[in-house]
Amino acid sequence: MNVQNNNSVILTENVTKEYHDNGVAVHALNGISMSIERGEFTAIVGPSGSGKTTFLNIISGLDRLTQGKTWLAGKLLSEMSGRELSDFRRDHIGFIFQAYNLIPVLTVEENVEYIMLLQGVPKTERRERVHGVLEQVGLEGYADRLPTRLSGGQQQRVAVARAIVSRPALVLADEPTANLDSHTAVGLIEMMRDLNQESGMTFLFSTHDVRIMERARRLIVLEDGRIARDEIQAAAAGRQA
Amino acid sequence: MLMRIGFRNVLRQKRRSVLTVLTMFGGFTLAAISIGWSDGTYSNIIEMFTRDRLGHIQVHHEGYLDRPSLYKTIDDSEAVGAIISDIEGVEQWTPRVFSSGLASAGEKSAGVQIIGIDPSRESATTHFDKKIISGRTFSTEAAREVVLGQGLGEILKVSPGDSVVIVSQGADGSIANDIYVLVGLVDAGDKMTNQTAFYLHLHDAQELLVLEGRVHEIAIVAEDLKEVVELAEVIQGKIADPKLVVEPWQVFARAFYQAMKADQQGTWIMLLLIMLVVAVGVLNTVLMTVLERTREFGVLRAVGTAPSQIIRLVIFEITVMAIIGIILGCGASYLVNYWLSIEGVALPTAFTYGGMEYDRMFTEINARSFYIPALTVLFSAMLVSIFPAIKAARIAPARAMRIR
Ligand SMILES: Nc1ncnc2c1ncn2[C@@H]1O[C@H](COP(=O)(O)OP(=O)(O)OP(=O)(O)O)[C@@H](O)[C@H]1O
Ligand SMILES: [Mg+2]
Repeated sequence: MNVQNNNSVILTENVTKEYHDNGVAVHALNGISMSIERGEFTAIVGPSGSGKTTFLNIISGLDRLTQGKTWLAGKLLSEMSGRELSDFRRDHIGFIFQAYNLIPVLTVEENVEYIMLLQGVPKTERRERVHGVLEQVGLEGYADRLPTRLSGGQQQRVAVARAIVSRPALVLADEPTANLDSHTAVGLIEMMRDLNQESGMTFLFSTHDVRIMERARRLIVLEDGRIARDEIQAAAAGRQA
Repeated sequence: MLMRIGFRNVLRQKRRSVLTVLTMFGGFTLAAISIGWSDGTYSNIIEMFTRDRLGHIQVHHEGYLDRPSLYKTIDDSEAVGAIISDIEGVEQWTPRVFSSGLASAGEKSAGVQIIGIDPSRESATTHFDKKIISGRTFSTEAAREVVLGQGLGEILKVSPGDSVVIVSQGADGSIANDIYVLVGLVDAGDKMTNQTAFYLHLHDAQELLVLEGRVHEIAIVAEDLKEVVELAEVIQGKIADPKLVVEPWQVFARAFYQAMKADQQGTWIMLLLIMLVVAVGVLNTVLMTVLERTREFGVLRAVGTAPSQIIRLVIFEITVMAIIGIILGCGASYLVNYWLSIEGVALPTAFTYGGMEYDRMFTEINARSFYIPALTVLFSAMLVSIFPAIKAARIAPARAMRIR
C-alpha cells in the first residue's frame, strides 16, 4: 500500500484485534485493510458486534491493535507513545460519542473551548471560533447553558461543535445518532454533511440507522470483523453535488 | 479550565464536599486544640517547676551539680548578680547557699538540707513569701530565724516560736552549730523537700558555714520561658568566668526535661489518629469521584487531556476542599484556643504546688498549633488522593466509554 499517499487520512493494513474474555479469544477485527481519503463522508455499518466501535477506537489510538498497521494523517500509530497519542488526538481528531459525553460542569461554550485551551489557542481567537462554530451548529443563544439543560439533539450538536472547532483532519463519530429520535438524527447528519461540504473536513461515523446510511457518500459494511462491502453511494453523492 | 472543572465539581457534589470539608475541618480543629492544650500545659507545668522553684537558669561553680561541695562556690555573688541584672530578658535573680546538717528540737532530730536564701530576692524570684503556710517569712535583715518545710516541722514537732538547733560543718573545718527561732513553715512543692528543707537567711547561713559572702547557686528567672536556652548562653558570655557554668532548666533539670518530652509524644500519637480519620474521609470522597467520573475522565483523555493533567485535576479538587477546611479550622481553633487561653480549662481536681493553687490549665496560641494541623490535613489528604488520581489518569478511554 502506498504510505506516501498524501490524500489518505486513514490507512490500515491487515488490522486484527483480539480481545481475551475469561481466556476466550474474541476476534473483533479480522484483517481490515482500507483507506479513507481527505474530505470523505463515510459511514461504517454492520450488525451489533461486527467491530465498528473497535475499529474506530483503533484508528484513533484509543485502543491498541493486535496485528497490522494503521496510519493516521501519515503517522504510524503503533510507533507513538501514550502521551504522543493523546497530543495527536487533541490536534488531529474530533470525537463525537453516542452518549454525547460533554463535561457536565462546563457550559456549552466552555465544552467547545476546552480542546483549544489544551492546544494553547489565545483567548480572543478561542472566543471567536467558539461563537462561529456554535452558529454553524445552530446554538447561538446557548453558550452559557449547562449540558444538563439541553435536549439530546442539542447536546449532540454541542458535541459536533466541540469536535470540529479545532479543525481536525478527521471527525470520528461512533453512533452519533443512536440516542436521538429519527427526525433529530436526520437533522444532525445533514448538518454534519453540510459541514463536510463547506469545510472539507473528513467525517467517519458508524451507524445502525438506515436513514443515516442513506446520507453517507461511502458505505463500509462490516461483518464479523471483516469488510463485507465497500461502496460509493451514487444517490447520496449525487444529492451532494 | 481544569481548575474551573475542579471547582465546579466540588460545588456540584455539595453533600459529599461538605462532609469532606467537615472531616478536614474537624481534624484540623482537633489537632490545633490538642496542640494548643499540650503546649499550654507543658508551659504551665514547666513554669510551676522552674519559675516558682528552681529558676529558669542556674549559675554554679563548675562541677557543682555533679558533686555538690561546700567549697565549690560563686565567690562574688553580688558582682555576678549585678552583671546578670543588666542583661536583657532577665527578670530576677537570687543567690542560694546549700549544705547538710542535723536539726534537733527537744527530743526530736532529723537530717536536713540547709538552704540559705536572700528573703527579698527569693520572694521576688520564686515567690518564697507566698509559700509560707503558717507563721511568717524572714525579716529582711538576718535575725537568727529559721523557716522549715512543713513536713520537717511535723517531724521535729515544732511550731512558730519554738527554737531549733542545727549542727553542721563550716568551710574552715570547724563544727558549725547554732540555735534559731522558728518563724514559719513553708510548702516547698514536694514531699521530699518539705521533709528536709531548713531555710536560713543567706547571711545567717554564710555565718554558720563560714562562707563569708560566697554562695553555691544563683537562680535566674527569665521574662520568656522560650528564650532561656539562648539567654543562658548570653549570660555565660557576659559573666566571662570559666569557673562558672550557666545552664538552662533543660540541662540542670535533665530528668524533668526528659519526662516532659516523653509527655509530648502523646500529641504525636493524637496527630497520627487525626490523620487517619482525615485520610479515611478523604479516601472515600476520592474513590467515589474517580469511580463516578470514569466516563468523564475517559472523555477528557480521548479529546487529548494528558494523564498528568487528570492527576492534577483530582488532586486539585481535594486541595480545594482541604484549603476550605483549613481556613475554617484556623478560624474556629483560634477562637477556641483564645478562649481557653483566657478562661482556662477547669481541672477535675485542683492541686496546690509550691503554695499556689492550680485549678485550671490554659492553652497556648502559637504558630505550631496552626501549621502542624494544616500540614497534617494536607499531607493525609494528598497521601490518599495520589493513588486514585493516578488510577483516574490511567483510565483507558475506550473502555471508560464502553461503560454505559
Ligand atoms: N473490551 C472488550 N473485551 C472483550 N470483548 C470485547 C471488548 N470490546 C468489544 N468486544 C467484542 O468485540 C466484538 C466487536 O465489538 P464492537 O463493540 O466493536 O462492535 P460494534 O459493531 O460496535 O457493536 P454495536 O453495534 O453493538 O456497538 C464484539 O464481539 C464484542 O463483544
Ligand atoms: Mg459500537
